Amino acid sequence: MVRFPRLGIAGALLVLASACYDDNSARDSDQPASSSGESAGTDATVGSGDPTDTGGSDSDSGDSPEAFEPAEPVLPRLTASQYRNAIAHLLGPGLPGLPLEPDTNPYLFYNIGATSTFISELGVQQYEEAADALARAVFTDQARREALVGCVPLSPGDGCVQNFLASFGRRAYRRPLTGAEQARWTDVATQLAEGDAWRGLQFAVAGVLQSPHFLYRVELGEPDPNDPTRLRFTGWEMATRLSFLLWNGPPDDVLLDAAGSGDLHTEAGLVAEAERLLEDPRARVALQEFFAQYLDLARLDHVARDPARWPMFSPTMTASMRTEVQLLVDDLIHRSDSDIRQLFSTRHTFVNAELAALYDIEAEGASPITFVPVDLPVDGPRAGILTLGAFLTMNAHETITSPTNRGKYVRERVLCQVIPPPPGDVDTDLGDDEDMDAQTVREKLEQHQKDPVCAGCHSIIDPPGFLFEHFDSVGGYRTLDNGYPVDASGNLDGIPLDGARDLAEALKTDPRVGRCIVNQLYRHATGRLPALSEFPALDALEQRFIKADHRFKQLLLDLVVSEAFRTVSEETDA
Amino acid sequence: MTFLIRKPPISRRTVLRGAVGGAAVALALPPLEAMFAEEARAADPSSDPIFGLFYWANGVPWHAGHGADQGANSPGGDVWTPPTLGADFTPSPLLTPLAAHKVSVATGLEPKTEVPQPDNGQSDGHMRGFMVAMTGDRIRPEGFDHPSHTLTCLRPTLDQYIAGHEQFYGNTPSRFRSLCLGVSEARFHDYGHWNAISFTGPDSPVGAIHSPAQLYSMLFDVPADLMALTRRVTLIDAVMADAEGLRGRLGGTDKQRLEAHLDHLREVQRRLDLSSGTCDIIPAAPGDSADVVARTDIMAGLLAAALNCGLTRVFSFMLSSPATTHVFNNLGVPNGMHQVCHDGQWEHVRSITEYQMLAFARLLDHLAAAVDPMGVSVLDRACVYGASEYGEGYKHSTAEMPVVLAGGAGGKLVRGYHYREQGGNLCKVHVTILRALGIDTPSYGFNGGETTEHLTGILA
Repeated sequence: MVRFPRLGIAGALLVLASACYDDNSARDSDQPASSSGESAGTDATVGSGDPTDTGGSDSDSGDSPEAFEPAEPVLPRLTASQYRNAIAHLLGPGLPGLPLEPDTNPYLFYNIGATSTFISELGVQQYEEAADALARAVFTDQARREALVGCVPLSPGDGCVQNFLASFGRRAYRRPLTGAEQARWTDVATQLAEGDAWRGLQFAVAGVLQSPHFLYRVELGEPDPNDPTRLRFTGWEMATRLSFLLWNGPPDDVLLDAAGSGDLHTEAGLVAEAERLLEDPRARVALQEFFAQYLDLARLDHVARDPARWPMFSPTMTASMRTEVQLLVDDLIHRSDSDIRQLFSTRHTFVNAELAALYDIEAEGASPITFVPVDLPVDGPRAGILTLGAFLTMNAHETITSPTNRGKYVRERVLCQVIPPPPGDVDTDLGDDEDMDAQTVREKLEQHQKDPVCAGCHSIIDPPGFLFEHFDSVGGYRTLDNGYPVDASGNLDGIPLDGARDLAEALKTDPRVGRCIVNQLYRHATGRLPALSEFPALDALEQRFIKADHRFKQLLLDLVVSEAFRTVSEETDA
Repeated sequence: MTFLIRKPPISRRTVLRGAVGGAAVALALPPLEAMFAEEARAADPSSDPIFGLFYWANGVPWHAGHGADQGANSPGGDVWTPPTLGADFTPSPLLTPLAAHKVSVATGLEPKTEVPQPDNGQSDGHMRGFMVAMTGDRIRPEGFDHPSHTLTCLRPTLDQYIAGHEQFYGNTPSRFRSLCLGVSEARFHDYGHWNAISFTGPDSPVGAIHSPAQLYSMLFDVPADLMALTRRVTLIDAVMADAEGLRGRLGGTDKQRLEAHLDHLREVQRRLDLSSGTCDIIPAAPGDSADVVARTDIMAGLLAAALNCGLTRVFSFMLSSPATTHVFNNLGVPNGMHQVCHDGQWEHVRSITEYQMLAFARLLDHLAAAVDPMGVSVLDRACVYGASEYGEGYKHSTAEMPVVLAGGAGGKLVRGYHYREQGGNLCKVHVTILRALGIDTPSYGFNGGETTEHLTGILA
């Protein structure tokens, strides 16, 4: 069967499930939303209402084992972007882009889809066709093939062919070829050549590009000389893990050389290579990919607003909003290398002309295509990405706001809590209910909360969501909703707050924010939810994150040297 | 479409080997029943049946049969259920576009799978109705997995079950075991599995082909260099050998995922091997359109040609995906369909559903017009199951699920019959289809959905 029991372990998530149906625990407890991952069972669990599950522990890892034990291996298939990065690395840039099976992103991350989804027959066909087309494009181009191969084969299977296959194979499989593999591809290059050594190479390359050793990351480990109870990843596997984490693509030759010399089994060697990778432009792109998934920015692509209703919402607005978040992330990671949690509280941001207009601020030098750094007004309503266009817009409806969506985002994305879906038989329509005398979105929601079936969850989701009521469906500031004064008071777990700036302040000191970043990164890095036995390593990682003042690059370095990233257990039923 | 002539699939590798060896090509031909399919059908009209799945999103316009709330906000009432029963029924307004093809319908049916507690979304119409209509089973026990939002089935959807069933293709599968096509590219959200209706198993969505050009190329483009094609076939043997060492080192799901990949690769290899076996007369290269009826017209023309010349015998046709957000602005509907349903805009949902039925009719037009030399049309040979995910999308009711059975299945299905059983088991549809296709089916349905009965009156 599928591996979802493992994915289903809630890990260091705080599971709200039970609390949702508990009228009291959510509001009255200091740690209202927490219940251990184990007792809550799975992420999918809808509140079972078992009172023993709720609110008891003061730590999300309360039930975790004392000693870390590695999880079983997974078999990620390269995502479409990883495949393309690998092709560019192997064959050079400028080759045609070919259709591939779309990736899925369960639990927000494409890397999790990569370890859990089965490929379809069409997907395999597309691999076959892509391999054929790419190899043909390279080997029918004389300049290109000579640049790639580096020598001119005089006869099928000669020394030039064999040397090339060895080096190409090492790059493609991210480890040296075995003798049998070398012989196999040399054979192919000979037998399918039909007298033309180039043609033979073309087919050998097309074959390598279809091999599961290329298309999947095979990371099964080897005996750990320091600990006979577990396996460690091989040096080659560590090189792959490093580069896919930091570059979203395959290792370069330098990294493979480091693997071959054993450097990646030492902490110093790992850190040195990780630091080198982080300096490369590929790392910036890869980290943006992570944050785009963690912050769910792809949803912005599907946002539409009626220009008649929202004149400010230009066709470029969602792209501007997305760029703003990217620049902010990049600034916090690379330029200032400072506390990444400031994402949710900083008054610093980057705006172009239309964002400056949306926020009603001065931004000297900003144009439609030029973003300039600005500090949002000290006494203004905005601080942190939860007050910026991207979050506010993608979590609102076309004409009205959605405190529920905004509150849910805070719970799920920022605090790593899990909100169960509404019961199947519940009407979630907030439309024009004639029986209601509610005028504002807030009043309508409060009416719905009178239903005890809804109130369980909505009393947790909506109060932080109300804090954003001063921002309309496109993120503009407002004082009236439907002609009535906005009430942006709310609370976070019983602590009363007024407005999104209050929330930003509260999040500055909320320990769940940093813990959540650790968790999200771990899911992305491993392609799965953490197993219970890994919690001690996650706790240790979190402690190091705190000691490092929550600097994200340091978190990456701490992650790659963490035993959770370097060790693995036996595949049980191999 | 009478220009389409069935050509038996011939292994090109076999042909080329034969040619190289100087042997007569005819000796290497596939079994007689594949070569003389038309003659075989003349003897037994139900041989070589075709199965198709036509899927449209968001059910039908709600009415009192779906529930009291729905009845209270149903200005036009029930415009789906035909007013008369049995043979030669009087079509309802929404079934009128399909009347020319004498489709049969079953009304009143609903999913019978148990809803565990906590139900994890198991009772939600989108998920429960969809899964039972497609698989006869519920969604996986964890439910509508949240926040992963993956919608995962427990077993293959009906089209994939049939395409993989040994009693359907036996040892001579078509070049394509199945084709999964789509028209609207709108999706409810980006979480992955929602934009597919066909699954070969858990976590195994089969993405639909939405592009007429891509479909055309798959079906009808024969590479000029057949020798290169032969090398590609041989190359896959090497890839298989390369994967061999890996298999024994994996366990659990990883092993299954790799096995599935390699099974698919074998299928791809087999198809490459047959890829000169396209239709004798190839349709013109297609255009494209963003309009769902116009694109259906284009895709259905290619599909009918492929079915008629034996490139496949199973298809799924996803007009719109579950909970579609498609904006039918050509009908004056300003918002996505899912929203329009929940907003209770009955008239809009009626016009959208009617439009979706027009598309269904265009598909059937093409299947009826594709005729073999003996005068038998694809639609005569086919059983096309028209289905949606629930009864209606306003409140997600799974009562009164819409079911259309089009085509004659070579005489195994009665055409133009209205079967009604209020509260009847939806899996009777599956039993009917499977039996009509000659697949032994003592019972079908799972987790409470089991039934041994077919739709009496519709199964001949």
